[in-house]
Amino acid sequence: MAGLVGSAYTVAVYGLALIVVVGILSLFFEWFDRKAFARLQNRYGPLHTGPSGLLQPLADFIKLLSKEDITPEAADKLLFALSPVVICTIPLLTLFFIPVFSKEAIVFFEGDLIFALFLATLLYLFVFIAAWSSTNPFSIVGGVRAALQLMSYEIPLALALIVPAMFAKSLSITTIAKWFETSFQPYALVPLALAFFIAVVCAQAELERVPFDIPEAESEIVAGWQTEFSGRKLALLRLASDIELVLMAALIATLFFGGAAGPWLPPFAWFLIKTTIVVFVFANIRALFARFRIDQLLRGAWGILLPLSMLNVFVAYVLMQMM
Amino acid sequence: MGLRNRLIKWARIKSPWIIHFDCSSCNGCDIEIVAALTPRYDVERFGILLRGSPRHADILVVSGSVSHQVAPRLRRIYEQMPEPKFVMAVGACACGAGVFRDCYNVLEGVDKVIPVDVYVPGCPPKPEAIIQGVVELIEKLKAA
Ligand code: SF4
Repeated sequence: MAGLVGSAYTVAVYGLALIVVVGILSLFFEWFDRKAFARLQNRYGPLHTGPSGLLQPLADFIKLLSKEDITPEAADKLLFALSPVVICTIPLLTLFFIPVFSKEAIVFFEGDLIFALFLATLLYLFVFIAAWSSTNPFSIVGGVRAALQLMSYEIPLALALIVPAMFAKSLSITTIAKWFETSFQPYALVPLALAFFIAVVCAQAELERVPFDIPEAESEIVAGWQTEFSGRKLALLRLASDIELVLMAALIATLFFGGAAGPWLPPFAWFLIKTTIVVFVFANIRALFARFRIDQLLRGAWGILLPLSMLNVFVAYVLMQMM
Repeated sequence: MGLRNRLIKWARIKSPWIIHFDCSSCNGCDIEIVAALTPRYDVERFGILLRGSPRHADILVVSGSVSHQVAPRLRRIYEQMPEPKFVMAVGACACGAGVFRDCYNVLEGVDKVIPVDVYVPGCPPKPEAIIQGVVELIEKLKAA
């Protein structure tokens, strides 16, 4: 592979460090998200677990780990046990393609952006399998909704993420991040801003957060595709959704703000600052909107976001030819 | 007590997730429970979250009188929750049938069907009383 940082040994060390950092970061971002969300609603949010409630996600995680793990009688035992693990692993794997500690990702090659998007699609397949294997009507309805939503928003998201790739003339996330530092052109700002807007909306849908929490709408279908999961499996699923949050924030921060690239501060500090800002944007959206109906969701994806993102790609192309 | 057990106990105390089950309440208690979950009281400060699925919850908050029709369903919901689980009976009806006592179709309280850990009296109890109920439960956990 083109971009392995030295030997297999260093990759292993960096990989382990990344897993630990992502673990901590995902819990931190969950806290940050909940806290920002609470402050926007004029309340305090987690407060008494550790300083300012910082340890709340950790307490939730440990508690879930220690709870009874129920496997329903009718469930497909193997898939039911396996899917939370896979759902947790895939976003973690995808983070290997994003520059975190240095200006280069641990693994990078021409086309890793496409590969990352492919992994994301794989994730939704497993969400559906998780729902299907629990053989609960609520889970299955939630799973079908999740599949519908994630597939619809996959396409505008991919089209939005292609825009920075077009300007940087590369399909590698690392090269795109470097492009922001070395040869960023101001004329790229307008298509990039629009693509950023589309990507944030789509990310919100992919993460199944308000206003796109239709797959887990608790007032209609209990807890959606997660209904049957308890104990350790639920802990893994919650961790997975936190890691997905890190992944989406990192992806958007890298492709639209250069991620780990930046002056003076070390790359990791820039990465942290930029992803935290993106998570804050996510929290704002969550607090501002109420849940959409399914028809509104689909119309939003196919009627608004898809034409908009296609137009955006076209505008970006014309701009590139003119400049 | 080993470090592991201390950690688990800490986590349990800090993260009580509740699920609300309405047996056949007059809706007075339900509204007070909802009021306890509003930003004014902001129980998320203590890590309390309302969950939709019994599989995710630790504390079953029951309101209303238990009629013969709802009793098997209440038991089913209780059995669907993973261990360790706790039950909180909110309101006079849930504690002992309240104004519906001696009705032909009503059992005398939730504890006739499932074990109850905390009783919150009142018709309906104030949100403060409901939060106090959760605090009592947490105190019980701490002592265990
Ligand atoms: S205790 Fe009072 S307020 Fe609560 S359900 Fe019974 S009658 Fe209604």
